[in-house]
Amino acid sequence: MVAESDWVNPTIDYHALAPEIVLAAGIVVVLLVDLFTSEANKWLVAPLASFSLLGAFIPVVTLALSDNTMRELFDGRYVVDEFSLVIKGLFILAGYVVVLISTDYLREGDYYQGEYWFLVLTSILGMVMMASSRDLVSIFVALEFLSIPAYMLAAWRKRDVKSNEAGVKYYLLGVFASAIMLYGMSLLYGIADSTLLTEIGETLSDEMTSIRALAVLFVIIGFAFKVSAVPFHTWAPDTYEGAPTPVTAFLSVASKAAGFVALVTVLYVAFPYASDVWQPVIWILSALTMTVGNVLALRQTNIVRMLAYSSISQGGFILMPLAVAGEGTVGQSALRAVVVYLMLYAATNLGVFAIVIAVARKTRSGEISSYGGLFSYAPGLAALMTIFMASLAGIPPLGGWFGKFAAFQAVLSAETNWGYAIAVIGAVNSVVAFGYYGNVLREIWMRPAPDGDTAPVVIQPAIAVALGITALATLVLGTLPGIVSHFGDLASLSSAFGG
Amino acid sequence: MELLRDNNWVLTIGTFLPMVGVLIMLFIPKADEVAHKAVALATAVATLAVGVWTLVLFDYGQAEKLQFVADAEWISIIKSSYLIGLDGISLPMYFLSMVVTVLVMIYSWDHIPNPGNPKAFLILMLILQTGMAGTFIAQDLVLFFVFFEVVLLPMYFMIGVWGGEQRQYASLKFFLYTMFGSALMLVAFLALFFKTGAESFAIPYLVENGASIARNTQIWIFAGMFIGFAVKVPMFPFHTWLPDAHTQAPTQGSVILAAILLKLGTYGFIRIAIPVLPEAAKEWAPWIGLLAVIGIIYGALGCLAQTDMKRLIAFSSVAHMGFVMLGISTLTPFGFNAALFGMVAHGLITGMLFFVAGSVKERYHTLEIKRLSGMLKQVPRLGWIMGFCAMASLGLPGLAGFWGEFPAILSAYSPAEGLPEETFRTFMVIAAIGTVFAAGYLLWLYQRTAFGEPSAEFSGHDHGHGDGHDDIHDVTKFEWIAWTPLLISIVVFGVYPQLMFDVLDPAVKATLAVFGG
Amino acid sequence: MLSASTEAAEAVFTSGWFLDHVWIVPIIPAVAFALIIFFGKRLPMKGSELGIISMLATLAMSAAAAYQWIDRVEAVDKEVFVPPVIKAWTWWSSDGFSFGIGQHIDGLALIVLCVVAFISTLVQIYSVEYLHGDRRYTHFFASLTLFSAGMMNMVIAENMLQLILGWEIMGLCSFMLIGHWWEDGANSRAALKAFFTTRTGDIGLLVGTSVLFFAANEWTQKTLGISGFTIRGLSAWALSGEPSSTAITVGAVALFIACIGKSGQFPLHTWLPDAMAGPTPVSSLLHSSTMVVAGVFLVARLYPVFFEGMNILGTNVNFIVVIGGITIVIAAALAFVQNDIKKVLAYSTVSQLGYMMMGLGAGAWLPAVFHIFTHAFFKACLFLGAGSISHSASHHSFDMKKDMGGLRKYMPITFITWIVSTLALCGVFPFSGFFSKDEIIDNVGHNGYNLFMIVGLVGAFLTAAYMTRATYLTFFGTPRGASAGEHHDDAHGSHDTHATHDDHDHDAHAHDAHGHDDHSSHGASHGPRESGKLITAPLIILAVLAIGSGFLNATPFGEKWEKLKVWVEPRAEVVDVTSVALVAHGGPGEVRVLPAAEESEEGHHSSPCGSETPKDGVCVAPQLNHAKFKWSKAALSLIIVFAGILISWFLSMQLYERKNKALVGLTKRNKLLGAGYNLLANKYYLDALYENVIVKAIAYPISRGAYWINQKVLDGAVNGAGIVARVSAGWVYRNIDQRVVDGAVNSSGAAAQGAGSALRPVQSGKVNQYGALLFGAAAIGALVLVIINT
Repeated sequence: MVAESDWVNPTIDYHALAPEIVLAAGIVVVLLVDLFTSEANKWLVAPLASFSLLGAFIPVVTLALSDNTMRELFDGRYVVDEFSLVIKGLFILAGYVVVLISTDYLREGDYYQGEYWFLVLTSILGMVMMASSRDLVSIFVALEFLSIPAYMLAAWRKRDVKSNEAGVKYYLLGVFASAIMLYGMSLLYGIADSTLLTEIGETLSDEMTSIRALAVLFVIIGFAFKVSAVPFHTWAPDTYEGAPTPVTAFLSVASKAAGFVALVTVLYVAFPYASDVWQPVIWILSALTMTVGNVLALRQTNIVRMLAYSSISQGGFILMPLAVAGEGTVGQSALRAVVVYLMLYAATNLGVFAIVIAVARKTRSGEISSYGGLFSYAPGLAALMTIFMASLAGIPPLGGWFGKFAAFQAVLSAETNWGYAIAVIGAVNSVVAFGYYGNVLREIWMRPAPDGDTAPVVIQPAIAVALGITALATLVLGTLPGIVSHFGDLASLSSAFGG
Repeated sequence: MELLRDNNWVLTIGTFLPMVGVLIMLFIPKADEVAHKAVALATAVATLAVGVWTLVLFDYGQAEKLQFVADAEWISIIKSSYLIGLDGISLPMYFLSMVVTVLVMIYSWDHIPNPGNPKAFLILMLILQTGMAGTFIAQDLVLFFVFFEVVLLPMYFMIGVWGGEQRQYASLKFFLYTMFGSALMLVAFLALFFKTGAESFAIPYLVENGASIARNTQIWIFAGMFIGFAVKVPMFPFHTWLPDAHTQAPTQGSVILAAILLKLGTYGFIRIAIPVLPEAAKEWAPWIGLLAVIGIIYGALGCLAQTDMKRLIAFSSVAHMGFVMLGISTLTPFGFNAALFGMVAHGLITGMLFFVAGSVKERYHTLEIKRLSGMLKQVPRLGWIMGFCAMASLGLPGLAGFWGEFPAILSAYSPAEGLPEETFRTFMVIAAIGTVFAAGYLLWLYQRTAFGEPSAEFSGHDHGHGDGHDDIHDVTKFEWIAWTPLLISIVVFGVYPQLMFDVLDPAVKATLAVFGG
Repeated sequence: MLSASTEAAEAVFTSGWFLDHVWIVPIIPAVAFALIIFFGKRLPMKGSELGIISMLATLAMSAAAAYQWIDRVEAVDKEVFVPPVIKAWTWWSSDGFSFGIGQHIDGLALIVLCVVAFISTLVQIYSVEYLHGDRRYTHFFASLTLFSAGMMNMVIAENMLQLILGWEIMGLCSFMLIGHWWEDGANSRAALKAFFTTRTGDIGLLVGTSVLFFAANEWTQKTLGISGFTIRGLSAWALSGEPSSTAITVGAVALFIACIGKSGQFPLHTWLPDAMAGPTPVSSLLHSSTMVVAGVFLVARLYPVFFEGMNILGTNVNFIVVIGGITIVIAAALAFVQNDIKKVLAYSTVSQLGYMMMGLGAGAWLPAVFHIFTHAFFKACLFLGAGSISHSASHHSFDMKKDMGGLRKYMPITFITWIVSTLALCGVFPFSGFFSKDEIIDNVGHNGYNLFMIVGLVGAFLTAAYMTRATYLTFFGTPRGASAGEHHDDAHGSHDTHATHDDHDHDAHAHDAHGHDDHSSHGASHGPRESGKLITAPLIILAVLAIGSGFLNATPFGEKWEKLKVWVEPRAEVVDVTSVALVAHGGPGEVRVLPAAEESEEGHHSSPCGSETPKDGVCVAPQLNHAKFKWSKAALSLIIVFAGILISWFLSMQLYERKNKALVGLTKRNKLLGAGYNLLANKYYLDALYENVIVKAIAYPISRGAYWINQKVLDGAVNGAGIVARVSAGWVYRNIDQRVVDGAVNSSGAAAQGAGSALRPVQSGKVNQYGALLFGAAAIGALVLVIINT
């Protein structure tokens, strides 16, 4: 609705946009190389993809080091600050690990490789954009940008009916969710007469009407779908199980994280004054999500499906601090908790999937029982799996514990009864969670190998690297959480809460 | 509270040295079992050497103060720091954990339980050692929590992989129980942190400021910690994991469990829960005392009902820890001294009993009390050692057990100001009756297993079924090496308890200063 | 004591090295024990020499100490308070108080110490032959030595905890020694029973000590600067008029319960006869002369506490005197129905202990202690005599009816010593028993406990009677069974249980390496003959003392014969606090006696101790006075004794020799007598009550019940929670999560395949359901919010 006449060319800070640009370039290169190389040289594509990711990581670092830590583009619709940089870094590295664990999987499954890389990179680009978006439009664009490639990736094994099912479900439900969110956004625009989050925030600061409440609710639901919060989680298990395992890893880590980033951005920047509307909503979502996720995970016999439910309940834990983020100065620590938790969760969960892929190559099975006796014939993998599972269960000194700790600290710092209540629920859930993580460990350590097949597992270098990165991260972040914990103090976002 | 900071490297080294051993072992191939045993043992011995050096450096004149205090930045963002220190309360348990590890290592030299794989077994044991030692030196709640949890997984695997028939059930039960406790404990810690102004997790700081918390809040926070620690102790009715864990665990696991892990709970009460929340402690004390005496009688009855030797010893732990908790519940220096002495004594004695049970199992391939008899005739030395431990365990004066038991009973006669005297005096009488029960089940066990003629099945006269009696031999070299230190210290501490009371008393009085005296 | 009554008198007391170092005495056997355990087997005499040497050493030291004590006492006037020689080192400390271990040496400690050392020495010498070739010969001597260490430590104990230490060590040794031949289940059960019964009594010991400690500690710390565990502190506190009557009464009663257990008083006497399962030397040392008097000793040791707590002399009846009285009679009665000679002696021990308790309960402190002294000798002698018989005559049987009779011809020495000791036990003039027992009875009456004086006389009659019966069956009449040279195994099955144990044991030893070669040592036939020197020598020594020991306090011959009264009885004097405190710390022992005394009508010195609160000073012993000896009273009791002997002699002749129709089987014919006999034969059904009712109940139903609760209720709850979680999870998963509104067909299919249902091929329906759920949830949420916000 901007008239031709008063169009002014926006000044663009290219340094700020460097990561996105590098990624875009990488995408193009990957596509072209894939088009114009013979089958024999298709292997080139994977390295290219990973290089473009690493390349995109460089500007992120330089931006972080530059003293100008607050770059606003397009009138604050696109912001590059500490928060977004940390998140971008997270997405890019996660993407890199995903590429690592995908490489051999794809080659052996002889799928179309080039397109795969293209889609993965595109989706990551969407996430990177999401980290900076401060405007309903850019948020929505980024969201679709990262989702649509994900839909296709989910259905990647086109000959496999389950993969198709996964893709279809993910797509349809994703669309439904988008629809609801769009509806909420349009309401917001109607209320605030602006798509800029900060302005929406100011508008919502005055008295809350039911229409505004609806708008808030619908937007939240949109993201709730992305982070597969109960009761909007139903797609996750089927999709995760049906999709190719590397894709599942990607969905359960990167795109989930993207959903949380968007949610946090909106809550902190657009809805700071609507906290009494969304706090109860998030509280309920969080409680439901971690409980239902846990209870259902107990029943799973397929590891990917179990991980699906586990990642649902982990999502509940990430939501937990947001349930009280509106209280006084809690916003600050809540944000920190979310960011730290996302990092630790990403590291650990990717590690788990790396192992799942490595083991599945040998056992050709997704059943948890197929892990029996792993300790006897692949002690290394067994030890790593133990580390990751314990980390997911939140047992010190392995990464996960600090995420949970930060989350608990955040909710308790509210010193409200709601805070204590959700903390206790969380505590109980963290115990229940060990039920299924421990179950895997039991298979690995205490059960004999099924049909006594104890041939060692071959681990390709790419997977090995991925395992190395994730395991190292899990251990180091667990014993010395101080390293990352300060990434959480992001004055810019939580300023709305005066934190 | 004044902190002494000299030589503060000694604790860190003593705690993390085992991890060095772990790193080395990671690079030794699994097949080279002797190398693993050697490295593990060497590491444990080196750690013990550091422990001895700590004993030397420790300033006994100021046992009430934290010594070797190190305070490094750790997670500044949540105001938690790497704050470690040692005082008269921690010293005995800290040192005991090192001793026990070494002895267990020695015992493991020719007693690697099925399914073998010393590499993993010993690595887990070293990790366990770090966790145990760390818990006793941590002076920061978060640090304490981390170490407290570190011991979980190794023990879980020790029971679950190297345990008996029911091992998977037992290990999971052990794990979930403890984790449930510690989850609530963590919540309680955090609540405590915020209620004291979100300044610091340092225990000394919290001790100074904890008393200012409103009474009801204290009671709730204490409840959280109570569950966390009570599960670990274990107190009735949270004890049901113990018999299974003990019975199923391999000998080494049982010994460590009995000697150290159970003490983490009681230590938590003494170090954290009670000093930090005096008001709540007063409120809870009678209930703790009640559960303690229930545990004493109940554990004893449980013992009488057992048909399995190891399970019987496990139940006796419930009874003995009951005495410890009774001492603690009086909130008096008398009681605390008794409790702390009891912790060490129980560690030595019950640990020793589990060693014996393990060796009996190894020789007879059963622990069925019915099937065993005439051990004194068949394996006289083992029989004597067992009798000795039984006597020590039932609190015979002149052996260590007595000094945990009698002072605890004594202390119950006059609990701290404001606690119901009549109630505690009733507890005292019940506890005294408990000592008779202890004599009952232990001597009954001894009479049935050690006395009499060896049963035909094992006597070796029947060449019908050759299994069993062939490898029934008396105490072996490694067993002697592993056991003698325990046996000697049981006598030494029994004859001259002042050795320990001397160190404990000042620290305990300092700890209880929060009660105004 | 005029000087004392006019102004405060200073007195300085001699001491001596031995007196100051009595604390070494228990250490000697303790060390010996360790040596025997570790090196005994390698020594030429299998460790017994170590034991005997250590015993001789202790004997020498305690004798020397006693000598120096006598000097210390006789150096001063008869009425002056003689401070004990006390030493204390910090043993443990708690709550800033430090608690000592050391010695508290006075007449009482020394006399018991000497007796213990002496009897132990003889018993060990005796055992060298008696247990020759036993499989656990070395262990036996180790245990004996450890026992002596324990007992001596208890006797010299400076405080209650040290006393408990010794007390429990004795319990342990008694367990080890009764169960010495543990191959046989009955022996180990007897051992268990003994330990367990005394342990039950020990509840009282723990509780009583605790109660007294907290009641007294403040006062003792403030006034004397010593802890509330110390003998000295407790005694002074008890007589200070300070204690609340409840505290001291509860404490005293609790402690006395422990004494009941240890000294086999009614109703906890049942373990003592079973304890005879142990080797005879053990019965003689532990279960007659020394260990079982521990309870009596404790009462005598802490007499002020019991004096105040039980209000002795205040009324005509109290707990102690009642228990003592009952024990005398019921035990004596039981002795009549025993065929096992050792059991007769066991019950006689119980009844004699009853005398001591009754004496203490009735304020006859000195006579009771004196009776400990004399009783030790003649009872030890009797047991060793019984041992000698079974060892050499009756082939390890103790059954008087089956395997004895007419032995006086074969074993003269044993016979004579037995007779001497028996007369002493019956209290015939001038044997030692007469002086001590008669004095107890006399003083009990004198202190107003007339009823119990009669009980004492009845007891004397019964004692005389059952001892005569036993003597007759053993030494007179015609030889029976093994004594008649029959081969032993004929009588095998029919033997009294303990006899068979012994026998079985020895036969068993014949097989193994260190086999018992008694068959050869018995010569060709198993006929009875006198035992060897190592056995008879102790008998003779003890017999001599059974006569002589009485004259140490022979009241009939007037003041100058009452040595023990001078040496042993503590003087009830009000002395000022500082001096007591000083003494308590083992200082030189200067004591200032405060003017408080005036002459009482009996010419006895009487102080306010016990009768009223001492002004600005403390007492450590209550004022007791002694009955004047009157031949008339003595004559009465002597007549009763002789009556007992004669009647019993006559009946025994009729029953056992002449087989008089009128008497034999009388109990079968006469209902009343029959009932009485059964009652006795079943030990008043007390054992049945303890073992079959109480113990069985706890050991089986109750503990099983508790365990059932543990497994089913507590554990069940835990497991249940887990199961519920899994089941509900499964249900939710199948019926809600996997199919929101789907048909019954699928649900059943899913139920069948459980969690696997999701693995089935795609169902287009699902997406609708998921979508429906998604929108539905959104709609509901919206509705709720609208309602809230309008």
